[in-house]
Amino acid sequence: MSNAQKTALVLAGTIAGFLSLALAFSLHLWGETRLPAQIALVDPALLAPTTFRTSYVQMVSAKADLADFDCYGCHEKSKPPTLRFDTNMVIIVPKEHADVVMSHGRHNRNNNCYNCHDEQNLELFQTRDGHPVKFENSPALCGSCHGPTYRDWEAGVHGRTGGYWLASAGERHRQICVDCHNPHNPKIPGRHPFPPPHPLRPNQPTAEIAAHAP
Amino acid sequence: MKAPATPPQPATPAGQEGMDRRSFLRTSAVVASGMAALAASLAPLRHLTDFPSTEQFLQKYYKEMTPADMARVLKRIEDEVQKQYGLRPHVKDLKPMNGVEFVYALNLTRCIGCRKCVHACVAENNQSRNPEIQYIRVLRMPHGSMDLEKAEQNYQPESVPEKGFFYMPVQCQQCRNPACVKVCPVHATWQEPDGVTVIDYDWCIGCRYCEAACPYWARRFNFAKPSLPADRLNLDMAYLGNRPRKRGVMEKCHFCLQRTRVGRYPACLEVCPVGARKFGNVLDPESEVSYILRTKRVFIQLKEELGTSPRFFYYFDV
Repeated sequence: MSNAQKTALVLAGTIAGFLSLALAFSLHLWGETRLPAQIALVDPALLAPTTFRTSYVQMVSAKADLADFDCYGCHEKSKPPTLRFDTNMVIIVPKEHADVVMSHGRHNRNNNCYNCHDEQNLELFQTRDGHPVKFENSPALCGSCHGPTYRDWEAGVHGRTGGYWLASAGERHRQICVDCHNPHNPKIPGRHPFPPPHPLRPNQPTAEIAAHAP
Repeated sequence: MKAPATPPQPATPAGQEGMDRRSFLRTSAVVASGMAALAASLAPLRHLTDFPSTEQFLQKYYKEMTPADMARVLKRIEDEVQKQYGLRPHVKDLKPMNGVEFVYALNLTRCIGCRKCVHACVAENNQSRNPEIQYIRVLRMPHGSMDLEKAEQNYQPESVPEKGFFYMPVQCQQCRNPACVKVCPVHATWQEPDGVTVIDYDWCIGCRYCEAACPYWARRFNFAKPSLPADRLNLDMAYLGNRPRKRGVMEKCHFCLQRTRVGRYPACLEVCPVGARKFGNVLDPESEVSYILRTKRVFIQLKEELGTSPRFFYYFDV
């Protein structure tokens, strides 16, 4: 075989190699180019740092309708409403206050409106030792029983925080107890979680799992 | 005998001197088709479009940049973002504050596993939405154990918290003794004086050594070009913080540098619906984190035995 023939052979081989590579690329023989997975965007409105509920103080500052807090629109002054209990000594919530769920404390221990509300003046609270507390100052009432939590809250450790950690740069936003806790039912309600990380390439089910799939 | 008259022969065999018309045409056809085949086989290279600009290629190391250099770089980044997203960001180079060391504390009693922090972080820090890059992983573990082998990150119940489980969000622990910094071959990641381990996305070569070294699975790699809708872009950016990344670089939690170095709380803390997250300056005895470290049952630094000494503390209320 002459040199010229060898050269031609090598050239032909190289060209065939390149051509097959080009063909393979254009036909996507090495796996298809995957379409990007569809991942739903999270609604930014859901990420707002707002609280679970709206408290009296927030309503006052938002200039909302405070009719629900006007006790003497319905009740009579100097005539404390009487509480009614069923045969198990569980308080009966009147239908005018049907939105109230009496679920503060375990074992039905907090079964009396006047544990916190002042029966002589319904527009006030009272602590267990008889000190009156205004609606807008409710943490003092909560703290009269929940001492350690109140201490943590004062230190900024219990409850939500926002704004600035550096006092010289700006204000630190704090929430009061009832911004997050419903005083009649203080346990934070469960919520639907945000989506987990998207498995870009989910594992293919094995034959065994696929056979049992619905 | 007289030799018959022969037509004139070429003086030398073909190939030794000059080239006749036929072999020239044949050779050039072969060469041309060879070049075409080579070009076609290199077609996938056309998809390589995200080359760095000359300016970025010649950029100096972060710690060697003069303020004038930095101003030029910030302008380049603003221009690039504007070109890509059509929006003009404000990119800052924020330096650590004196007398500040950041510490994070997370209350495992309170966390309900709602993953709001995960998505608030994504929104704040301009992470890629597709493929998803998230700095925080929320692990669900059964009560009575702290066994990471039993942790589940893909839980998806109707409602959280679930009975019998607790939740443990894990993100960059900002170690005092960071393994990721030690392995970086180009010093593209380092620990700042305020305790935040940062990454220079322009210096990172994408070798992923740090990802392998991190015992907390905190570092994320941009395997694909990050995709992020322009209307989700957070325009308040920092050079070492949340400016948009490119393909092939590492990223991770940086305690929301663009917020915390101007005195604000991190995004994950602000949205936590139960107030389980606490952040502050541990050198200030009056700060929330100092109070927690002093008075609370601070149970763990995650994987304490590795000696990485995280600045991220998990604690319980009672």
